[in-house]
Amino acid sequence: MKTKFAASLVFALSATTAIAQDLPQAGNTWFTDGQAAIKAALAKQPNTSTAKNIIIMISDGNGVGTNYATRLFHGQQNGNYGDENVLPAETFPNLALVKTYNVNAQTPDSAGTGTAMMSGVKTKAGVVGVNENANRGDCASIEGNQVLSMNDIMSAAGKATGVVSTARITHATPASAYANSVDRNFEDSVPEGCTQQADIATQLIENLKDGTIQVAMGGGRRHFIGKDITDEEGKTGKRAEGENLIDMAKEMGAYYAWDQATFDAAPMDGSAPILGLFESSHMKYEADRSGEPSLAEMTGAAIKALSNNENGFFLQVEAGRVDHANHDGNLARVVRDGVAFAQAVALADELTNDEDTLIIVTADHEHAIAFNGYCGRGSDILGLCMGIDGAGIKHSNEALLAKDGKPYTVAGYLNGGGSVLREDVNWVGARPDLTQEEATDVDYLQQALVPTSSETHSGEDVAVYAKGPFAHLFDGTVEQNYIFHVMHHAATAE
Amino acid sequence: MMNRRHFLLAATSTGLISPVGVSAQAAPIAVRDLYNKDLSFSDLALSLEGKEITVTGFMAPPLKADGQFFVLTKKPMSVCPFCETEAEWPDDIMAIYTKRQFRVIPFNVRIEASGVLELGPLKDPETGFLSRVRLTAARYS
Repeated sequence: MKTKFAASLVFALSATTAIAQDLPQAGNTWFTDGQAAIKAALAKQPNTSTAKNIIIMISDGNGVGTNYATRLFHGQQNGNYGDENVLPAETFPNLALVKTYNVNAQTPDSAGTGTAMMSGVKTKAGVVGVNENANRGDCASIEGNQVLSMNDIMSAAGKATGVVSTARITHATPASAYANSVDRNFEDSVPEGCTQQADIATQLIENLKDGTIQVAMGGGRRHFIGKDITDEEGKTGKRAEGENLIDMAKEMGAYYAWDQATFDAAPMDGSAPILGLFESSHMKYEADRSGEPSLAEMTGAAIKALSNNENGFFLQVEAGRVDHANHDGNLARVVRDGVAFAQAVALADELTNDEDTLIIVTADHEHAIAFNGYCGRGSDILGLCMGIDGAGIKHSNEALLAKDGKPYTVAGYLNGGGSVLREDVNWVGARPDLTQEEATDVDYLQQALVPTSSETHSGEDVAVYAKGPFAHLFDGTVEQNYIFHVMHHAATAE
Repeated sequence: MMNRRHFLLAATSTGLISPVGVSAQAAPIAVRDLYNKDLSFSDLALSLEGKEITVTGFMAPPLKADGQFFVLTKKPMSVCPFCETEAEWPDDIMAIYTKRQFRVIPFNVRIEASGVLELGPLKDPETGFLSRVRLTAARYS
């Protein structure tokens, strides 16, 4: 039998080396899908039009591993095994891997990575809109070391610009769109004697005032009002007493939104800058969201408002809380915010034209997340690793057991609050027993090893997906600051 | 292959958030069961006000070493010193005022606290900590 098969294989190969349809596996769906993918890849043509609009969408902390978890979760929510699911950005024609390190940090932070993407230069961890010659926390070192962001550059070129985030709008990634600060934590004040720069919230208001930014929406209300001022939801601010940047913005003609109703009523005709501050601190996780817009809703509104500019627009969108849920070691919230990001990507794509709009989807860094094996198809990405069924496709429905006789989840973290080591027993530990119901609970923390109060970032690569003008410049493995240079080239190409 | 329009439709039609099951009173209840999604008090919380209940959760690192209360959170309280200047308290927490001085339990070890449920804002006179839900005369294990 083997001989007969080998003989027919030789015939097939010798007679039709290049004709795939003659191979014995040619009728297999995987094979025909692969052939269709080849056809699509061969038909790809680079788009060398000038980009009228550019949207960069950053899912904070959404490295390749975290994105994998969201892909499976979304697919499983829709009734399939998960692996075969395709997230919106994964349909984009071009991608590259991105090296995310900061100049002084193997494990990067969002301030340094945001600055790399928005200004074209890598810098130190913890600083925003300054080059590597500035030192974190040293105000005097900002002199001569500020850099301009894509928002600054695109605004000078006559485009409208915006920034949207589910984190505080003064947090590291959105701040990299408009601020120059030697410390990401200078959100509402600078240290005494620091005269060389303003705090980050003040810089945002200045950008709204001088027309660099037309739309800014996210959380972080507390950084715009004084300690003596109570906001619409009963929370006090962080600024010096009497300071109210929200009132300042309103006085200069900005429209202010703070909840779903005021968001829904925002002018979409470009007649006024829009300042949306929907929470005192970060906006809510998607799993807990109530009374405030989703990331997709904010993205759609920003695109509509900015599209009034006939020269086009530049928009930075951040899914800020994918990172925070990872820091919590709580994958259930990571993937729900991951799906909310995917919805924002799909909507941005829907509202724009590939011919004139470059859309870039990426992450700023990865986390210390990892995945166990050997799980069968359809194992719940949040739950227990089920065995492989050798006679079928779907998993065996029997949880695999480790050497300690206990089941384990598909995903885990290397460090964080889910550590199995206990301080009260001299950092010795044993893995707790675990049911599928416990593991898939929305508040569950995946097991971790190293006991840290917050799970950490990692230096692992992230992906960048792109479509539109000059998206084909994303190829291979690139430094993170390269993303800026693609955007800049696409916007300025003759 | 799913296109972007299908994706949008599927996402909006999918219930991405599992409804929170409300535990029977006999079993310990979770902190989150005391709140609705908009952070108003749940029917369960209103029905149990003034009664002795048992709640399961995690002890956040205490604000004061020798204090009379600690904060119970629904999941271990994670603090990223590199990313944040201060602890970000979740909205859905509860204060546990113990009968006597309490022993600190690691922040990532699940505990059960029993006491009398109190609802409504109260500012702790010593620390200024504002709680909306409390257990008083509490004990925990």
